[in-house]
Amino acid sequence: MSEIVTIALLGQPNSGKSTLFNALTGLRQHVGNWPGKTVEKKDGSFSHNGKIYDIVDLPGSYSLSANSDEEVITRDFIASGRADVVCILADSSQLERSLFMTADYAGITVPSFLVLNMADVAREKGKNIDVNVIEKNLGIPVILFSANDKKGYEPFYKALERAVTDKSIIDASSLEQEYAGINGYNEIKEMVPDGLISGYSPMWIAIKALENDPVVIEKLKTGLDPEKTEKIDSFRKSVQGAVEAGGAKFAWIDSVLSGAVNEKNENITLSKLDRIYTNKTWGKPAVVLTILIGLILSFIPALPLMGVGMGIAALKAPIGEWLISAGCPDILIAIINSVIIQSFAYIFQMLGFVFGVTLVFGLLEEIGIMARVSYVFDNTMGKLGLQGKSVMPFLVSFGCTMGGAAGSRVIENWGQKVLTIALAWAVPCGAAWSVVPMLSTLFFGPGAVLVIVAILLTMILHMWITAKIFGRNLITQENRYGMIMEMPPYHKPKWGALLRYVLGRTKDTFIRVTRVVLVVCTVFWLLSYSFVSGSDPILYKIGMAIEPVTKIFGLNWKLFMAFVASSIGKEGALGVISALFNGGNFYGAFSDAMSGGAVAADLNNTLLTNVTKPEALAFIFAITFNMPCVVALAATYQEIHSVKWTAKIAIYYTLGALVLAAVVYHIGILIW
Amino acid sequence: MDKLLELLKDGHARTTLMLASELNTTTSDIGRKLEYLENMGIIKKVSLSSSSCTGSCTGCSFCDEGNKKSGCNACIPDKEILNMGEMWEVIDYK
Repeated sequence: MSEIVTIALLGQPNSGKSTLFNALTGLRQHVGNWPGKTVEKKDGSFSHNGKIYDIVDLPGSYSLSANSDEEVITRDFIASGRADVVCILADSSQLERSLFMTADYAGITVPSFLVLNMADVAREKGKNIDVNVIEKNLGIPVILFSANDKKGYEPFYKALERAVTDKSIIDASSLEQEYAGINGYNEIKEMVPDGLISGYSPMWIAIKALENDPVVIEKLKTGLDPEKTEKIDSFRKSVQGAVEAGGAKFAWIDSVLSGAVNEKNENITLSKLDRIYTNKTWGKPAVVLTILIGLILSFIPALPLMGVGMGIAALKAPIGEWLISAGCPDILIAIINSVIIQSFAYIFQMLGFVFGVTLVFGLLEEIGIMARVSYVFDNTMGKLGLQGKSVMPFLVSFGCTMGGAAGSRVIENWGQKVLTIALAWAVPCGAAWSVVPMLSTLFFGPGAVLVIVAILLTMILHMWITAKIFGRNLITQENRYGMIMEMPPYHKPKWGALLRYVLGRTKDTFIRVTRVVLVVCTVFWLLSYSFVSGSDPILYKIGMAIEPVTKIFGLNWKLFMAFVASSIGKEGALGVISALFNGGNFYGAFSDAMSGGAVAADLNNTLLTNVTKPEALAFIFAITFNMPCVVALAATYQEIHSVKWTAKIAIYYTLGALVLAAVVYHIGILIW
Repeated sequence: MDKLLELLKDGHARTTLMLASELNTTTSDIGRKLEYLENMGIIKKVSLSSSSCTGSCTGCSFCDEGNKKSGCNACIPDKEILNMGEMWEVIDYK
């Protein structure tokens, strides 16, 4: 050994290596990069009892497998023989986990000692650790230590000196007994000659080969004859080596810690709420009920903004009168009243619902309930041929289908991704939730709740049918593994963060909706306006021509035009209705309104007068299950990169919405 | 660890608490095994945050305004209120 002792600090991220390194070296340190890598290299020196120590802070890594640059650098450094002793750090507060690096190090012949860092945290957690037991089991110096306690470094120096003097190596005999139970381990180990990789024992190399470590396999290929490497390959392929090796290491860690750690026993019990949500029988009804209650409750926070919208609508008459008295041209008054004021009146009423739905669902998520929703519906996803994680794009789609489409990028399988997006389109988005409750309330009063329930049930049926239709071409049958979920604890909401998010979403929606509504509303209003006195507007002529067909779907031509507009953005549908039923000189409504015709001035009454309940129901279903919007269409193409499938989905939804409208219209005729 | 993965073969989702209960162990034991399996590429954590946003969602006002690096908060809630726990999927196990 050289006069200057070189120490390598080895540990997982957050094991306290940097704190220890800085405390030991102070200003005598150098920071750079490892040759050819962007990984930071820190080295320095210190002296103790007249001896100089060079110290290298190896990159933090989970293990010594060659899965990352950090791990390869660490292994190469140890194999280079430059370290005289390796200081392994582990987190005392979670030894069962953090001793994995020690288990992975066992079998390396470079002397080492173990520092159980963060002893203070372990104490706070009520853990009593007997280092003597661990030291006896490992055969190397072990200390309980807190790197941030600069007065308590003497045990560290003593352990270091002992490791250097004794050249202590981890006793891996009991670990090897665990490895021996893995099919092929003994055979591979026998084939590995000593010194194949400097500093690494045949035991270590054999287990890494079974773990399919690419660097070790390459070394074996170059160091052994082809017959042996073929045998090793056949063993590797016959077992899940990484799984079994991991299991063996954890079993060894448990045996090392046996009798060394006293802590409170964990109590595995579900909270009362989780006992309901995770119940096989009651879980789904409970979750569906929670969502329904959430939707109903979202009406409450919607009320203030809806009031603002109604207030804006009430401005139409006085502003109209003032404009007439000021001598404004009729067309300008019509634009201001029927397009601008009316649009903003609806925009604010819609925003009320967007605010309400976002607030309630944001709250459910913040509390931790949405995670339970994901869990409950994981199995349902499987029945649709999807992975459990597809539920996330669906949940996001309740807010925005575009977000749902973007969220599908976590799904690697292209077919599943396309199907996920196709099904996400069936989920009514925030814009639909801003239009549907309002229309439902207008036409059906308290029965609006039943309409919403019917929409949710139709959504589920729609998704099931769509999965059957598209799934045949998109999904290949493969083994499906269940998801593993770590449920977040229920906690009180952070109201500030929640409100920031909700207001941000509402503002974003306001900007987007205003653009869509004003543009769509203006275009349709212009098409519906008679610029030549006594002639019919263009839209009226087109509408009357197609109405015999649109009537089949329960939609008169004006509602059908609004349906077409909803393909651009569902927010636009109400604007179009507003323009067509209440606008310009169409039906003389505007002039009636301006002359005090209360019926024509009030769109709600106009709709109730001109649209029957079956037609209203048909329209609600048509726009809810129509394609979400052009932006969602673009996002879908962006994710799936297929014009054919994007077009297929869009056409399917457009036609599907009309079929659904026809069905509910005829059911409506039977009821009313 | 084999037992943990074998359990999931039935296609049913399980929480870490359920796994601990079914395997007669602790959630911290399940936690360390999940960490190992994730590091070995056998399971993968499912991204639930907007950090998966590439910052190029067409038509997304948030991205359009140049917030590409910080993710699409307008589409998916940011981490500040995301309380969805963790999810893993099995990606490489036979």
